[in-house]
Order: sequence, then C-alpha cells, then structure tokens
Amino acid sequence: MRNTERLCLAHFWLAFAAFVGAAVLGTWQMWVRSPLGAPTGTPGEYYMSVTAHGVMMAYVLSTFFIMGFGYFVAVTALNRPLPGKDWAWVGFFVGIVGVIMTLVTIALGKASVLYTFYPPLTASPWFYIGLVLVVVASWVWCALMLVSMAAWKRENPGRPVPLAMFATVANAVMWLWTTVGVVAELLYQVLPAALGFVQTVDVGLSRTLFSWTLHAIVYFWLMPAYIAFYTMVPGAAGGRLYSDTMGRLTFIFFLIYSLPVGLHHLLMDPEHGNGFKFIQVLLTAFVTAPTVLTVFTIPASLEIAGRLRGGRGLFGWIWALPWGRPMVLATGLSFVMLGFGGLGGLINMAYGMNAMIHNTAWVTAHFHLIYGGTSVIMYFAIAYELWPRLTGRQHPSLAPLRWQLWLWFVGMMVMTLPWHWLGLQGQWRRVANFNYDNPIIASWGPLVVVSLGGGLLLLASALLFVRNLVALHRSAQSTPTGPLYALAVHPPQRVPAALNGFGLWNVLVLVSMLLAYGYPIAQFVIAPSPTAIVHRTG
Amino acid sequence: MAEPSEPRVVDRLWRIWPSVAVVAIVLIGALLGVLIIPIVQGRGAGIDPLTAICRALGIVPGSPALPQIVDRSPPTPVSQVVWTSQVLQILAEAKPERGRAKVQEVCSACHGEQGESVSTEFPNLAGQSGTAIYKQLNDYHTGSRTNQFMTDIAKALDETTIADVAAYYAGQPMRNPNPLTLAEAPSAIVRLVELGDPDRSIPPCAACHRHGAGGPIDAPVLSEQRQEYLTSQLKMFASGQRRNDVYGRMRAIAAKLTDSEINGLAAYYRAGFR
Repeated sequence: MRNTERLCLAHFWLAFAAFVGAAVLGTWQMWVRSPLGAPTGTPGEYYMSVTAHGVMMAYVLSTFFIMGFGYFVAVTALNRPLPGKDWAWVGFFVGIVGVIMTLVTIALGKASVLYTFYPPLTASPWFYIGLVLVVVASWVWCALMLVSMAAWKRENPGRPVPLAMFATVANAVMWLWTTVGVVAELLYQVLPAALGFVQTVDVGLSRTLFSWTLHAIVYFWLMPAYIAFYTMVPGAAGGRLYSDTMGRLTFIFFLIYSLPVGLHHLLMDPEHGNGFKFIQVLLTAFVTAPTVLTVFTIPASLEIAGRLRGGRGLFGWIWALPWGRPMVLATGLSFVMLGFGGLGGLINMAYGMNAMIHNTAWVTAHFHLIYGGTSVIMYFAIAYELWPRLTGRQHPSLAPLRWQLWLWFVGMMVMTLPWHWLGLQGQWRRVANFNYDNPIIASWGPLVVVSLGGGLLLLASALLFVRNLVALHRSAQSTPTGPLYALAVHPPQRVPAALNGFGLWNVLVLVSMLLAYGYPIAQFVIAPSPTAIVHRTG
Repeated sequence: MAEPSEPRVVDRLWRIWPSVAVVAIVLIGALLGVLIIPIVQGRGAGIDPLTAICRALGIVPGSPALPQIVDRSPPTPVSQVVWTSQVLQILAEAKPERGRAKVQEVCSACHGEQGESVSTEFPNLAGQSGTAIYKQLNDYHTGSRTNQFMTDIAKALDETTIADVAAYYAGQPMRNPNPLTLAEAPSAIVRLVELGDPDRSIPPCAACHRHGAGGPIDAPVLSEQRQEYLTSQLKMFASGQRRNDVYGRMRAIAAKLTDSEINGLAAYYRAGFR
C-alpha cells in the first residue's frame, strides 16, 4: 500500500503545485485588467499568463487530481491492489514530461494561444505535443480504472460494483469519449499547421471538434465533486446515502448527456444549421437531470444525518448537521455555488439569451463558479479527507481548514457575481486591458475592483490550503479515522446489469453522437468550407 | 414463464427502456429542430418548407426564420491577392537562391542586395515579411498599386519569381534595435504604437506591424524603415492616393492621424523593434 499512497500523493502534489501557480497568475491578470492597473505587464504577457492559468487549472490540476483520486478509490473501494501499478507510474512521468514541455513553451512566449487553442492561431508544436502527452497519461489511468473494475467483477460475480468505483469508471469512460474530439483536432488540424505542413486550417471543423470535448471536459472536472457527494458526504455527516440507484443513474446521465451537447458552445457560429443546434440544446437540457437527482438525493441523505443527530422540524435537521467538518461544510458551500453557476449556465445554453452574454464576462463567471467553485472546493475537501489516510497523520486543527474553505467560497462569490453583472453590461472576456477613459467602461471600474478583491481572497485561500497540508505533514503520526465510504440506506445486494457496467451506455453514447454530431462533422468533408490562414505565434 | 423480478428479466427491461428513452429523446429533438420549428418559422418568413428544412440542417446557408440577405452590388476588390492555400504553398516552397539572382539583376539598384535601400524614398526590405513583399509586388503587377518605377518592373515578373524575391528579402537579417532612438520616442507616439487611441478608433500599430503580430498576414513588419518613405506612404493613405489596403484599413487609420503623429510614427519606426 505504501507505493499506492506515494502514487496518489505524487499526483495530488503536482496538481496542487500547478493550482497555486495558476492562482497567482489569475490574481495578477485581474489586477492588470482593473482600473488600478498593475505597474508592469504588456498585453502579450497578459495572454501568456491567461494561457498558463488555463493550462495549469484546467489541464494539470484537474487531470492529475482526478488520476490520483481514481487510484485511491480503485484500491480502497474495491479493497484490492491496483493492477499495473508500474504503468500508473509510467503514466505519471509521461504526464510530467508533457506538463514541463507545455509550461516551458508558454513561458518562452511561444504558446500564447489560450488553453482552448483557437486555430488558426498556432503555438509552437512543443506546446501541443506536451498536452497530448498529458492526455496519453490520462488514458493510461483510464485503462487501469477499467482493468481494476473488470478484475473486481470477475472476482465478485453478480455483486454490485461499489458506487465510488462505478462513478470513477464512469468518469474514465466519459473521458475516453471526451478526448476523441480534441485529440482529433490536435493531430489532424493543429499540429500539421504548427509544424508547417499546411498553411490553412478549417476553423469551422476545429471549433466543432473542440466543442465535442468542451462540455464533457467540464464534467470530467466536476465528477470528483459528485463522487464525494454520493460516497463520502453522507458518512462524513453521520448518516447514510439515501439511494445507491440514484447515484448510479446520476453518473450514467453524466456519461450520456455530457457528450452530444457541445454545439451549445457554438450557438453564434455560422457553420452549423439551426436544427442541429436545437437538437443539442435539447440534449443539453437533460444535463440538468443528474444535477436535479443530486440536489434531491444529497440533501435527503443529509436530512437523514441531521435527524439522526437530533434535528427536528422542517428545517431543524439542517442546523443539526456537523458543519464544522470540512467535507460537510464544503458540500454546503459547493451547492450554493452550483446553484448560481447552474442557473447562469441555463442562460448560456438558451439560444436567445446566450446572444446577450455570448463571449462576455458572464461566461467567465459561469465556468469559474462551476469548476473553480463547485468542483475545486470539493477537491479541497477530498484532499483534507484523504491526506490523513495517505500519510497516517491528523490535521492539528480543523479551524484553518474551515477558514480556507470559507475564504474560497466568499472569494469566488465576490469575484464572480460582479462578473455576471459586467457580462450583462457587455464587458467582453479575453481582453488584456480596458480604456477606462471611456465613460461606459469607466462605469464598470468599481465592480472590476470588487472582483479583484474576490481574487485576492482566493489567492489567500490557495496559500492557506497549502499551509494546511504542510501543517498536517509536520504533525505526529496517528491512526487513521473511521470508514470513508458511506453506506446506502438500503445497501444494494444486486443491481441490474445496466447499472453495474457501461456496455449499454457506450452503445447509446455512440448512437447519440452519430445522430447529433454525424452530419455537423461530415459536412466539412462533403462540402469543405473556405479555410483560414494559419497564424503562427510560436 | 420467467417472473418479472428474475434478474434476467430485470436486466432485459433495463436494457430496452433506457435505449428507447435515449434514442427517442434525440429523435424528438430532430423532429422539432429540423422539421416542425423550421417549417413554422419558414412560413412566417415566407420560406418554403423544403428550403426551411435544408437551412435547419445546414445544407443551404441561412436561418429558417429569416429571408437570407443577398448583396447584389458588384465587388470592387482593392487587391487581386487572395490568400488561398495554393498561394501560401507557393510562398512556402519559394527558393531564396533563385530570388537572389533576380534581386541582383533588378531590385538591388534601389533596394540594395541585402535589402538596405540606396535612397530614403525607397523602403528597406531586409527581413521584411515575405507575404507583405508578395502582396505589394502582386498589387504592382495587377495595377492595384502604382509607382513610376515599380509598376513596369512588377509587370515583367511571374508569380513564382515574385515568391522567390519575397523569400530572398525575407531571409535577410534585420539589424538590432537602436536603444538610443527608442529612448527618444515621445510617450504619446509610444502609446499610439502600443495601445492605439480607442477614442478615435485607432488600433495600436503594433497589433499588426510587429513581427509575429496577429493582424492580416500581408501587413508589413515595421522596423528600421526609411522615415521619409513611411511619411509619404501614410500621407498617400490619408489622401486616398494609395488604395491597395484591403477594407481600407490603413486609409481609415491614416486619415485620423495628425501630421505630427505621422512624422512621429515614421521616426519611431526608423529604429528597429523585433
């Protein structure tokens, strides 16, 4: 087990090192854009910084955290050693090489194309090759998750796969589907352009392929939060999971409805007909299903815990919950951010309303709330929960943990609520500086300063997070705490085969993808559109 | 007869109904999105059902909800250069050695063999972007830009030779920036270069004219350029005498610049910025 623990910690530390670096850059970016004006920095440096911030937060933090978490779940939920542990280490080091390659290229100013690439902009080929290596590392992880579950099922015929592992494999399967779009874009379009083999690129196709990835990738980041909600939070609160089946359905819904929905990122794009946009917007509406199931099931589970702890009346159970425990506190704060972020997302996915806020600060606010808020605050809670089990040490005190979570929550709200408002005012995103001499833009100034205040709180929270982990490493050895995974109210003895594997759901994803993305992609081959001139920044 | 609660029966039901539901949802979306809504919208916009459906599918351009606007005014391009992938491939495969021969034969008399011009009225070409040289030579060739010397010279060149000459000069090194001149630039001019003047809708010069900037690929790199040449070109853009800038970008910008700004910018770009 020692080696598995080292494996998990290595992934986590890499993830959080990138996180702290990205938090510093993010704060600086907000300072540059504010009317206070940072003393140094050119637009070129701003875009370099945005690229690094996006890559480190969206690719490094998320991917390595999820990999480390997955390895932990595979060993602890299945209660068997990780098969192919050496491959996991190979994947880790391939990933590190990729991360270094990518970050060095960005730091040299040869890859200021943002983490979402935007062809016909092309960076140095090393930037993309590095990212492909990170994806390859994550594929190794996916393979090991699938092998782990298959081995467990062979050893335990007919028994339901533990929910934590079922959900982790759902994420791995979804990730394999997700990466097809972006990898096709990189290998077929972007890398040939970056290497100088072709001089033009079909931007419509590249945007379509990236849209394939773009929505599902966010669910890949979000899944650990949901895994914690279903498998750790009920136990941490002192209760049980209301329904194991609801959990399985939730993760299956995520798998099915995160993929054939990406065109809702292209509602303003001319290369697709309204009909296909409509189909995918309708399917996007079903993405709310797993969240609705969760918003019911998790509060129901918490209610069980609250009542067991003596809570009475309609809402009395809420106050009876152990809010002092980081996992419970983080869940409450995460749900509030999920509420704001989710409702904002409904605006984004609606054809008409999207037109008002398309490419404005509203969008930035939305994904910071969902990823930076809802997901990452649960990353913290998971880290706080797992670290004692990985190191055999206890947190010296829970108070700084609570402080850190509250700071993150308040910082995220103070940063993103003004962004929503500014987006409605028309403040565009991805812009290095604003002309605050203009009276309209000047009127945005005060809110931009407020959001910078939120950014500073987030930075303080990020630093406090690292301090909390370091403090734990310095504390004395002690025995680990009780069981991690929550029992269901009715622990399943047997579940339908469809709820215990992914064969059926993979077929349904394939069918949905063919119907939703078949013609939108095929049209670029049937009737090629005018292509754009490659612009090499590297 | 199998009992409804038998695992085999339960498994089968769990296979059938989710499949029906998932496929039905997509098909309902298709029915609404590519049939019902476009036909109804098309009726309101005076579009026949078949066209409306084709538009919804993306087979023909336009929205089913709106008549497609057709611009019937004849196009009057200011330049004949089109950056097709073929043209870009010709440039990518150009041979600087062949270009050198033509340069020695013709161009060097004014622009110098290494691209350093012999007179202040002729531009330096050393290290200039190949696409910029190609565009200007082509414009002289087709008459989009005129000059008492260049028009006749360019008319005698074929496309491959133009590409070779462009590649040759693009491959000549520019010299290093001159920090002394940089330090002398007035802050208002530096601001115009770096940030433009949003109040007058003037974009920053550096957005297009710096090496590797994100503007049109035919925008010339400005550094170590002849001050007199730049001044005369900006004034010709401002007056409309020179008009081979696509979308009138430079005519619009130059017309907003004051004489002292034109002189200041030309002086600024006399020094090198790479």
